[in-house]
Amino acid sequence: MTDVIQVDNLTKRYRDTLAVDDVSFSIKKNTIYGLLGRNGAGKTTVMSILTAQNFATMGDIRIFGEDPYENAKVLQRMCFVRESQKYPDDALPKHAFQTARLFFPNWSQELADQLIDEFQLPTKKRIKKLSRGQLSAVGVIIGLASRAEITFFDEPYLGLDAVARQIFYDRLLEGYTEHPRTVILSSHLIDEVANLIERVLVIDRGRIVMDEDTEAVRDRAATIVGDAAAVDAFIVGREVIHRESLGRVSAVTVLGALTPDDRRRLTSAGLDVAPVSLQQLVVRLTQHTAGEPITVPTEEGVLR
Amino acid sequence: MTAYASDGAGTRTRAPNRTLSVVRMQLINKQTYIWIPLIILGGAFVLALAVYAILFNAGIDSPKYGGGAQAPLWYFLIVGVQALTLTFPFSQAMSVTRREFYLGTLLTAALTSSILAGIAVVGGLLERATNGWGVNGWFFGLPWIWEAGPLGALLVNFVGAMLFFVIGFWAATIYKRFGGLWLTIVLVGIGVLLVAGLWFVGRLDAWAEVFMWFGTVGVVGLSLWTAALTAVLAGIAFLTLRRAVP
Repeated sequence: MTDVIQVDNLTKRYRDTLAVDDVSFSIKKNTIYGLLGRNGAGKTTVMSILTAQNFATMGDIRIFGEDPYENAKVLQRMCFVRESQKYPDDALPKHAFQTARLFFPNWSQELADQLIDEFQLPTKKRIKKLSRGQLSAVGVIIGLASRAEITFFDEPYLGLDAVARQIFYDRLLEGYTEHPRTVILSSHLIDEVANLIERVLVIDRGRIVMDEDTEAVRDRAATIVGDAAAVDAFIVGREVIHRESLGRVSAVTVLGALTPDDRRRLTSAGLDVAPVSLQQLVVRLTQHTAGEPITVPTEEGVLR
Repeated sequence: MTAYASDGAGTRTRAPNRTLSVVRMQLINKQTYIWIPLIILGGAFVLALAVYAILFNAGIDSPKYGGGAQAPLWYFLIVGVQALTLTFPFSQAMSVTRREFYLGTLLTAALTSSILAGIAVVGGLLERATNGWGVNGWFFGLPWIWEAGPLGALLVNFVGAMLFFVIGFWAATIYKRFGGLWLTIVLVGIGVLLVAGLWFVGRLDAWAEVFMWFGTVGVVGLSLWTAALTAVLAGIAFLTLRRAVP
């Protein structure tokens, strides 16, 4: 596996805020990444800098081993349609797609036409008159049909209904299977994209706090389900990140991988292990009030 | 031109020239580039002609001149502004470099300025042929613009439109990069420099020489000086754009 993106000590400072704080990471070829984090965590800033739309204050980025700034050869292998993308005033969706066809060498008109149909996008209405969901669809279609080697999706689903989002996920996976490429998907709907992403990058207050395979992340915690008293006995001394109770049944998510010994204890106590929600883990990692350092929450703070 | 074939995901034999593609992207805004300038020019022309006809019917058959043909030139300030604000963010999403965007945009401006200048010259020729549309009214063919013939008129119209375009584009780029405060400071600063220049000429008691220079340099010479100024501004505008963020 080769790296298509290499980021070293990237820092972006706006006048009074540090948007990205000395971040280093790499992105592997032909992998779907989830770039997760709260609003204002720095997701869009990082994607903008990687596509040379914005500038780093410090640090070094390499895309396909080169600096992307003013580098048409590298840029045309990437596609980044931002969540708040602006389009020319008079533009109809078809103008946007015709233009994308000129600039993206791997553009698939067939796929674009199919997606226009599936999203029921009116192509003869000015883009600035489209609804929020239709506007998102324009960006999603450009991102998918450009078939760029590195494609960024910045909260692509805003205003899209569940059916349209499912179409997006399905077509993304199909396209990825037929034409493997690197996809970086920033999203708030973490559990919805959890099955899609192979690797998780969590950015929090300008820093990368998690960079792991999705499978490995899931093993970092477990949800124990069963009789409340038995669950409570098992979780003594473990860090609880989520708890739900219904009558005498509890479902408690605890941090840390389960050892074979743990599993034996669970079986003998009649408790079940359920898959853990990626969203709960990410929330746990990024849960804090502004300005406060990341602390391990006390049990009282988590128990409800 | 090299086609950048990516491994696996399909190849294209000949990639379209990206700078020319920017021209096509800009021309999505047909209203900005084509229709509004034409409506302004046509409207100014019809109005001027109506006034000339009224005067002519009132018995005033001496030559009548108007400056209405300049109206679209002023509008090119706005075209320059819109070329940046409406299309630069989209060009970034299309993975276009700032250099490609800039050259393509200037090319678009040159194209539309040529159309405008062409119309002005054809209008001027018709005006001459009909002796001021039969009412001795002159809209395109003002004597000082035509003193060097149709080519001189073509040049002055083209260069004028380009100058206004570049000023508008540069102003919009400053606004995008540094905000309204700095745009105002730059515009006021340029105003101060101009006034200082006027004061300096007055102090040297050189107004006569200045007017003499304008008289001798002629419409072609003035156009070439304007072209040089436009080129300098265009260079500064590019340097401003190089670090602009959509």
